Amino acid sequence: MEVALPAGRRFAALRRLFGLRDVGVLVAAVLIAAFFAAITPSFLTAYNLFNILRQTAELGIIAMAMTVVIVAGEFDLSVGAIYAVTGVVAGVLAGRHEGNIWLAALAGMAAAVLLGLVNAVLIATTRINSFIATLSTMMVYRGIAMVLSQGQPISFPLSFFMDLFGRAEIGGLLPVPVLWFAGWGVLSYLFLHRTTLGVRFFATGGNREAADLAGIRTARVKTIAFLYTALASGLAALISLSFLKTVTPTQGTGLELEAIAAAVIGGTAMSGGVGSIVGTFLGTFIMAEVRTGLVLLGTDAYVQDAFVGLVIALAVIVNVRLSMRRR
Amino acid sequence: MPAAPLLEVHDLSRSFGPTQALRGVSLSVDRGGILGLAGENGAGKSTLIKILCGVHRQDAGRMLFEGRLHAPRDPAEAERAGISVFHQEIPICPDLSVAANVFLGPRMPRRGPFPDWRAMEARCVELYATLLGEQIDPRRLIRTCTAAEKQLALLVRVLSREARLVVLDEPTTALTPPEVDRLFAIIRRLRGQGITFLFISHMLEELMQLSDRIVVLRDGLKVGELSREEFEARRLSALIAGRTLALTARTTTAHGPVRLAARALSSPGAFENVSFEVLEGEVLGVAGLQGSGRSALVRALFGAPPAASGQIRIDGAPVVIGRPDQAIRLGIGYVPEDRKTLGLFDELDVKLNVCMAGLSGLSRHGWLDTGRLRAAAGRMRDRLRIKAESVDAPIRGLSGGNQQKVLISRWLSLRPRILLLNEPTRGVDVGAKHEIVELISGLAAEGCAVVASSSELEELLQLSNRVLVLNRGRVVAELSGSLATKDRVILAATT
Repeated sequence: MEVALPAGRRFAALRRLFGLRDVGVLVAAVLIAAFFAAITPSFLTAYNLFNILRQTAELGIIAMAMTVVIVAGEFDLSVGAIYAVTGVVAGVLAGRHEGNIWLAALAGMAAAVLLGLVNAVLIATTRINSFIATLSTMMVYRGIAMVLSQGQPISFPLSFFMDLFGRAEIGGLLPVPVLWFAGWGVLSYLFLHRTTLGVRFFATGGNREAADLAGIRTARVKTIAFLYTALASGLAALISLSFLKTVTPTQGTGLELEAIAAAVIGGTAMSGGVGSIVGTFLGTFIMAEVRTGLVLLGTDAYVQDAFVGLVIALAVIVNVRLSMRRR
Repeated sequence: MPAAPLLEVHDLSRSFGPTQALRGVSLSVDRGGILGLAGENGAGKSTLIKILCGVHRQDAGRMLFEGRLHAPRDPAEAERAGISVFHQEIPICPDLSVAANVFLGPRMPRRGPFPDWRAMEARCVELYATLLGEQIDPRRLIRTCTAAEKQLALLVRVLSREARLVVLDEPTTALTPPEVDRLFAIIRRLRGQGITFLFISHMLEELMQLSDRIVVLRDGLKVGELSREEFEARRLSALIAGRTLALTARTTTAHGPVRLAARALSSPGAFENVSFEVLEGEVLGVAGLQGSGRSALVRALFGAPPAASGQIRIDGAPVVIGRPDQAIRLGIGYVPEDRKTLGLFDELDVKLNVCMAGLSGLSRHGWLDTGRLRAAAGRMRDRLRIKAESVDAPIRGLSGGNQQKVLISRWLSLRPRILLLNEPTRGVDVGAKHEIVELISGLAAEGCAVVASSSELEELLQLSNRVLVLNRGRVVAELSGSLATKDRVILAATT
């Protein structure tokens, strides 16, 4: 049996932000940072830290939305493909046909939301397992991106839009994607942890039958979760196309699994009903710092994925241990 | 001198914590006989069976099987000794054939590393013919078989392993009347072949039809043993009910207007043509055996799922209840029968578990208002005397009785006009049981219309002004006040 810690009220605010599980992830993130800082002095510089955050902003935005879906008891494997479709739609309209970038971006976002709605309707009406359903839509959506782009990358002209979503550096130091990442993080935190809808995500994923019997429209709750991942994929695509000034129909391949990995490292339970935005943020950060740290150490690029794999295994083992102890 | 009995049980006792589940029970079963075992839920029947088949160990007493000491350490050992138990849930592999299910296990016929299907199928047909007198397609998938056919496959399985004593634990719950007749014919045929049966059932007629003798347990004690010529439903139900025989429903009658009226509710396979009314301030008890449609009926009033046909009126106006959220909007609350799987959110804290059905009312434009949640949950905790360290504590840390109170408080905080309860006192200790009964009575006194379904008759009678008895999906009796005695209810539910 777990008993509330007798810590004083001073820590109440901190404890509200960081759940007990999140503290463990935070400690891991700090330990990993300390390890790399000790052997490569350039690791712990403001420049490097912001660089890590910028590189991982797109993954982080999607991983936080993925956390919402997993907490609600489902998976969304189509996020990487939606990310590609959004970019390609904007690219075809603004790059190839030289349309207005703002309208093109809006059309891309609309496409993302539409694809998210298709996921939700498919799962709600047929009751297919979402892992399978979004595996199939992932391939369909990827196909749409390939067809629309004719399999070719599309580049954009420079514009204020590109600065706003990807290229500007505030004070010459803080890249603007990091601000989007932070903003999306705060939004996701409030959404999942501070609204009644957020509680309904936890209830639906934790015990769907009980949620139904408490009057929660669980199909509707899951629909909203799928729309949220689609929205996140769209935003990430806009950041990517702005930073790179180009889109490719194959972009974001494998992003869905990295997003799930980040959520899992952050303590999200694959069975639903458990997870936190702060944890997922830290999980994303851990994956990024391991990658960057290994680069700074001069490790072979091919070894990096293997290391990230080990980190995932380790995180899951710790999580399982933790949840076993509480039973 | 008569032959020694196949099974002798001497002074068997077993307690679980403070509860004495069995107190010095002795009985014997003759070879080739059928012994019926009767008793309410919690009378000790299951404990006796579990000791017999090696799931539990007795605290005192001993068992002799075929004249030898029988002390199995696990079910496998009991099965090797020749005792097989048949549970309500049938352990089978639905995507394998009948033959594969019969022979599944280490002794499956094989040719080298491969299963010998031809031998299995031939042997399966032969077993069905000699044991049951039935024909069978051994290649049929178990999934496509009816519940009765699955049972027969399992029966053939245990008999092929030389079971000499077969324990039938409520074998008829899932069967239709013709299937019951067929099963009984087969049991009698097998008895002719020297197989011995221990037959457990809540249905008194079935017990009297099949058994040579019936042993009645109550509160862990053997309170009676009847031989065939003494069989009589009244006598049996009196033995089962015991000293609480004359216990009646609350005699105070409610006089308010009709709050809830159900007309001709039907749901195929669960209940048929059920009509009743509940007055403001009244508690209507719904009694019946497992599978009588009692629990499905209460769920239907909450739209989870709704009845297939029929009409429901609240305060005289016809209403449509297709989903729980619609029921909630009409002022209905529902406490489900299994709090673990249907009620609680294990990963959430006490306050969210209390407030889950009323989140919108406790929020500000969709934003959580932790202060109000905490205050609302705190009020419920004080009112229901829920023992929890804090409303922020995880729900998992609470005892069963306190978790049940949390579930009831989920609806109380919404001030329901109709409260539906399924098994409100299941799995809670005596003290909490009493408190919950008081709580529900208090709610009714405040004008709430209550419908409670329970397998625990004593609580149900203490709770109810009127009792509706269901038997095989139909209303067989409606007893109110002093007419609703325990033995009348048992008689109506079991015959």
